[in-house]
Amino acid sequence: MNAPPGTGGPDSLYFVSPQALRCPVRDSLTRRTFLKSSALALAALAASAGTAAASPLLRGPDNEPDEDVKTVLRERFGTRPIREGHVTLDVPDVAPDSREVPLLIESDLPMTADDYVKGFHIIVDHNPDIYLAGFNFTSAIGAATLDTRIKMRRSSHIRIIAETSKGELWSTSRFVYTSLNGCV
Amino acid sequence: MRDDIGQGKIILPAKISRNAVINIRALLSHPMLTGMSRDQAGIPIPAWFVKEVEVTYGGDRVASFEWTSGISRDPFVGFSLRASKEAPLTVTWKDNKGGVFTHSADVKFTTTTAEATR
Repeated sequence: MNAPPGTGGPDSLYFVSPQALRCPVRDSLTRRTFLKSSALALAALAASAGTAAASPLLRGPDNEPDEDVKTVLRERFGTRPIREGHVTLDVPDVAPDSREVPLLIESDLPMTADDYVKGFHIIVDHNPDIYLAGFNFTSAIGAATLDTRIKMRRSSHIRIIAETSKGELWSTSRFVYTSLNGCV
Repeated sequence: MRDDIGQGKIILPAKISRNAVINIRALLSHPMLTGMSRDQAGIPIPAWFVKEVEVTYGGDRVASFEWTSGISRDPFVGFSLRASKEAPLTVTWKDNKGGVFTHSADVKFTTTTAEATR
């Protein structure tokens, strides 16, 4: 009785012709089949959710730095532990132009006279210069934010390391896909 | 070759109040060549990029940047500053060929747009 519009035969009170809706209406889409198919789709989604979290396409390749990157990190920071957190990196997942990849770096670490963010370090794993740039601050800056544009040779991890005046290291990393070589 | 190399600007927000954290944008015209590209005749183009950047505020050094050629052409950098005094903000870029470029803007507690070129 309470069939939605677009269902039932041409004699039905609720029949709406597909032309009237201006979009294709599948004849077989009744309430019963819709519920059945949506339940199936939900089940499929739930089943795939477990594997999707681990999918390299979604998450990017492994976060572990390779030997060259580890050497650079060791030269710069010695054996000090680099922990994750307190830094955010805003960068497009897919860079439209690898010659100009915009980065926005922010940190929620305190910025007081005796405890402040001494610097941000940008490390790009697959660039010719792995240690791409360092930005050193003093407490006069007031807030640890940074906005710049970098070049990337190919799809790679971008790692940001924030160094505090007390010598702590906090980091974040993002995998960015690029299509062209940006070494100009 | 481009003729605008070394031109640049420091952009301050239009409204600055005392002790507010303001956003500074510094822009320089520079090719930032990595030394890995070649010209049309196949001759390598030598590296030419900004290596050091120094930011002073009223004579005090507040930030310094250490760059490689991985920073994009016409390098742009945006950062914060606590506007604690009315003083000039000066940014000095130094490239690997000995070029030194300096631009500054005056931090003033007014509501006018402060924009400086050279």
